[in-house]
Amino acid sequence: MEKSPKSFLSLLFLLLIISCSDKKEDPLVILEYGKNYQGSTRSLNALKKVTELDGTNSEAYRELSIPYLKRGLPHLWKKHMDKSIELNAKEWQGYRGYNYLWFYRDYKKAIADFNALDTITPNFIDAPQGHSVDYWRGIAYLGLKDYKNSIHYFDKYIEKETKDTGEDWVEMTAFLYEGIAHYENKNDTLALRSINKLLKYSNNNYADGNYYKALFLEKKGNYKDALELTNLAIENYKEGYYNYRPYVETLRQIYMEDLLLLKERLSKKQPI
Amino acid sequence: MIKALKIIGIIIGILIAAYALLILNFNGPIKPKHIPKKGVFEHSAHYIDPEKALLNEGFEVCDENFILQYYNPERATYSKGKNGLRNFVLSNYKSNNYTDSGYLNIRFIINCKGEAGRYIIHENNLDLEPQIFNKDLVAQLFKITTQLKNWNPNFFHNEHRDSYMYISYRIENGEITEIIP
Repeated sequence: MEKSPKSFLSLLFLLLIISCSDKKEDPLVILEYGKNYQGSTRSLNALKKVTELDGTNSEAYRELSIPYLKRGLPHLWKKHMDKSIELNAKEWQGYRGYNYLWFYRDYKKAIADFNALDTITPNFIDAPQGHSVDYWRGIAYLGLKDYKNSIHYFDKYIEKETKDTGEDWVEMTAFLYEGIAHYENKNDTLALRSINKLLKYSNNNYADGNYYKALFLEKKGNYKDALELTNLAIENYKEGYYNYRPYVETLRQIYMEDLLLLKERLSKKQPI
Repeated sequence: MIKALKIIGIIIGILIAAYALLILNFNGPIKPKHIPKKGVFEHSAHYIDPEKALLNEGFEVCDENFILQYYNPERATYSKGKNGLRNFVLSNYKSNNYTDSGYLNIRFIINCKGEAGRYIIHENNLDLEPQIFNKDLVAQLFKITTQLKNWNPNFFHNEHRDSYMYISYRIENGEITEIIP
């Protein structure tokens, strides 16, 4: 007991240090914390806290929107997403367009956002989510069944990418989607050209490419080669070489049953 | 004099210890780290209140504390695939001259046995604002959705797991134009 005052003084000093080490809350640090465990209460509360500390932090609102996007709660996604654009349209308008395109299949709203982004950044081609707005617009117009505009934007994207970095740097699905747009537009020659590019850059291992090429051959009555390509497409599919997306079905996604149906049809025309 | 100092020391010590506990309580590991002043989230974004959910009676999740999302890590899927799901819905749905447009979303849980339950319905217009759909349309699509019985449950750490799932019907003038995701 004789040493108690000293002990308490030591404790006092220690607790003062702990108390002083309680730094001022940094919204950027909390934002990084809030990005983890997406959709959990700890994440949502941390992100909300960021918006309280810094009401201009557009990224915090964007982060708050994402779990609702992926969980099928559109009104809550919209509330936070729109706020992020109100604060920083240049940063997030393209991202919202990407969301409208894939998660809501609202092609018109997606195109409106991509066009708005062009207005905000004139003479510059933005790349929300890592791809040119022209590539995204090509897909959105394909969704709208506006094949002429779809082809226009894919051509624009492919031409620029080829000029800037080389054709082998073009996103492969641009060739696929452009091929589908040509196919739907009843231009098999151009469709085959696009699909051949897809197959060239995938070393012929792409189920969608071999499937569409088989359809072209079927049209020409070349059932034997069409069947061979269909079998290859089935192998590609089994190995995971086909077009798909995380979270949502992709546009014009093919499934194993599509390939098996084609195989069955061709087998009847060209007995094995 | 020494005794008086000891008593003062004890009092100061208790006060400081109480203050330290208060600090730790708000900022330390005892409570969630960052709590906003207003609009505190009591539940996760995906939470479905079993008390308010539809067809929850008799439905059991395998672990209430560990329910994944449908997309992670090995997706929970409909047993007949997306094509099978689409075909089932579209072949059973009757548009009945409905004029509604919007997104009718039905969220639910696929448990570790591949059973579906604990449903909740969200109704929004095409601008993603809350709206009320024709009751008959909602009842019909809810019935069709609950008839999708056999699901492949999620798989994680060598075990089948529960998952949150949703189906979003984009409806234009009473017709289903998209089934997401």
